[in-house]
Amino acid sequence: MKPVSREVVRIAASMTVACAAGAAILGVVYVATDRYREASALRTEREAVATMLGIDSTTTVVEVRQYLEPARREVIYRAAPFGVPGAEGREVVFGLDGALVGAHALPAGEPVAKTLEPLGRVFVAIRDGRAAGFVVEGEARGYKNFIRFFVALRGDFEVAGVRVIQHEEDPGLGAEVATGWFDGQYVGRSAEEVARLEVTRDPMPEDWRAALVALSRRAPGSGAVHDSLLARERAKPIYAVTGATISSRAVTDGVRVTVEHFRRRWALLAPHLGGMA
Amino acid sequence: MTTLLHPGPAPTPRQLILNGIFAENPVFRLALSLCPAVAVTTSVLNGLLLGVAVLAVQVLSSVTVTLVRGLIHPRVRIPVYTIIIAVWVSAIDMALAAFFPALYAQVGLYVKLIVAFAIIISRLEVFASRQPLVPSFFDGLGMGLGFLLALLAIGAFRELLGSGSFAGHAIAPGKPLLFLTLPAGGFFSIAILMAFFNWIEARARRGREGSAPAPRAAAGGTHGV
Repeated sequence: MKPVSREVVRIAASMTVACAAGAAILGVVYVATDRYREASALRTEREAVATMLGIDSTTTVVEVRQYLEPARREVIYRAAPFGVPGAEGREVVFGLDGALVGAHALPAGEPVAKTLEPLGRVFVAIRDGRAAGFVVEGEARGYKNFIRFFVALRGDFEVAGVRVIQHEEDPGLGAEVATGWFDGQYVGRSAEEVARLEVTRDPMPEDWRAALVALSRRAPGSGAVHDSLLARERAKPIYAVTGATISSRAVTDGVRVTVEHFRRRWALLAPHLGGMA
Repeated sequence: MTTLLHPGPAPTPRQLILNGIFAENPVFRLALSLCPAVAVTTSVLNGLLLGVAVLAVQVLSSVTVTLVRGLIHPRVRIPVYTIIIAVWVSAIDMALAAFFPALYAQVGLYVKLIVAFAIIISRLEVFASRQPLVPSFFDGLGMGLGFLLALLAIGAFRELLGSGSFAGHAIAPGKPLLFLTLPAGGFFSIAILMAFFNWIEARARRGREGSAPAPRAAAGGTHGV
């Protein structure tokens, strides 16, 4: 071997060893911390669901997980009381065409088969035996990575709140979509209005911005001010965060698609949940 | 870059730490990593959190490079330094996400950026790759502390004058100079503090006129994020 190529091999070997060692260390750290990261993410979610649904003692929450069974071409819904370990649930199975395949009780702790692909989750608030509200999990492709969010809907599918749960948008720009004043723009719009929702780069009117900031801080009287301005704003598009039109559009499109899909699925699913909803 | 690297008696830990805080302060003297110094210092708390993360990464990377430098092929040392920094940053990132989720929600985005901080890789190249373990540790500690204190000073200055508060507690009514919280105001804040730094040093130098010549300010050189 010529000296030059031997040098090249040595350089390549040095880099390879460094990368392998780095990957090994990161692998160990990942395995050691992942459990705790998941646990804390779950806590955050629970708090978000509880506050968005306004849970009190008269409300119970049912968590519905949706899966795809690719081999049998089926969509499987598993419903179980949220935050009640050991409670019995219910499983409802549909074909891809929306035809009911079967519905049956699901014993507590039934494991999820590895072949099932998770499609999403919905939390249903049950008050006086009826579905009083929903929190639907959604995902949208942001500027760099996926933006995960919750959309809270009232029983009539009017938007009660939007909260970004996880994102990697740029601080000071796209990250603003996770702020209360931006997400407050969706509140109070009906499902039909959300279905037509667009995004504008026009500047947000100052009184509307002030009302949304007050609403996100739960200031006294902010609800009434918001309602009166909403009459003017509900026909208008969502005002994008300045300099972050892509992130703003991502969240808006995500909310629209999430609400549309959920309404269609709920119409199919609700009659088969038995005593749960 | 510094008198400390010249042959002579080895610098003491105290000298190394003070060197990082004053004579070669990363922000006010070396003018390195100004971009994050502007981006995150809109409040004291943000500055503190990022400063602590940089301190940890700087010390850990300096020590790692000192320990493994014999194994690194000199032609690829810079990429390997980058990998070492990236490993520590990712490890800290994962640990923060797992054990301090509330904190991570605030600084998670900035922590990942530390991989590209010029100050860290420049200390690895200038110091840790040539000096023994103990001095490298204290150089990393000094540089990290220097960066941390600089971020604290800039953050306090901007939050106090820009938002009229300190560490989130309102002090002044209203917002005296809101402009300072904007990115452009960040550069002005750094310039004002840097001038103040120079003034103090010039006074100190006049005080001991005639004694040993003070180390020359080493601003300039490699600039980066």
